[in-house]
Amino acid sequence: MTMKTIEVRVERTIPAPPDEVFDAWLDPKTPGTPWNMGDKTLLNPHVDGLFYLKGTRIAHYGRFTEMEKPARMEHTWVSPNTMGEESLVRITFRKQGEDTVMTLVHTGIPDTEAGRGHDKGWKHFLDIFPEHFVTGLGK
Amino acid sequence: MFAVDQLSAALTAISHPTRRAIIGQLANGPARFLDVAKPHDIALNAVTKHLRMLERAGLIERKKQGREVMISLRAEPLRQVAGWLHEYERFWRERLDEFEQHFRRKKKQRMRKKEK
Repeated sequence: MTMKTIEVRVERTIPAPPDEVFDAWLDPKTPGTPWNMGDKTLLNPHVDGLFYLKGTRIAHYGRFTEMEKPARMEHTWVSPNTMGEESLVRITFRKQGEDTVMTLVHTGIPDTEAGRGHDKGWKHFLDIFPEHFVTGLGK
Repeated sequence: MFAVDQLSAALTAISHPTRRAIIGQLANGPARFLDVAKPHDIALNAVTKHLRMLERAGLIERKKQGREVMISLRAEPLRQVAGWLHEYERFWRERLDEFEQHFRRKKKQRMRKKEK
């Protein structure tokens, strides 16, 4: 059975050259990287190298499938949110003047209700809302 | 087609901190124009512009009550936004925001050192 999947795309302009941004993204000490959030992190950033991240609740696994410094990298991403399926994260780094345009595309994410995380999405998005209003919306 | 356009309009509408603040205010209940404008340190016609964008996105409506016009929140478009925003969209946005901030801080520190 083929599952319906979705794609997430996020782009940011980082004020540093691509090779610096590329290296920083693979350094677990850099804030904002996926490897910087877990209580337990294993990371082997080479083609066919594996990673493992364990936060407070869930674990993420993956395998690097492409590593082309400083232009792009690609790895699989498996977690309970992907229903155990291998999704794919591809990050490209493009020089723009003194900056780097970093594009992250996450494909093959199973489109499930859990993934859409209605409840959490609400809370996050509407944190400016008084609690009673958010609950009132659910009616 | 209409639904997508409304979603885009809602996303644009909530992409500005002042408009999010206005939404937060109106979440407490309908308010008059001057009450909406009061907490913001901007010109009244700027507030009008923000309100117009919110109205276009279907996020607010104006109703005449006697001599006053009351502005109230319509939350349905926000529900669409929340439903559309996938968990991973949120996850990667937060990660990359933090990553970008890290570099912006580093750049600032470098500039400050240069100035000294």
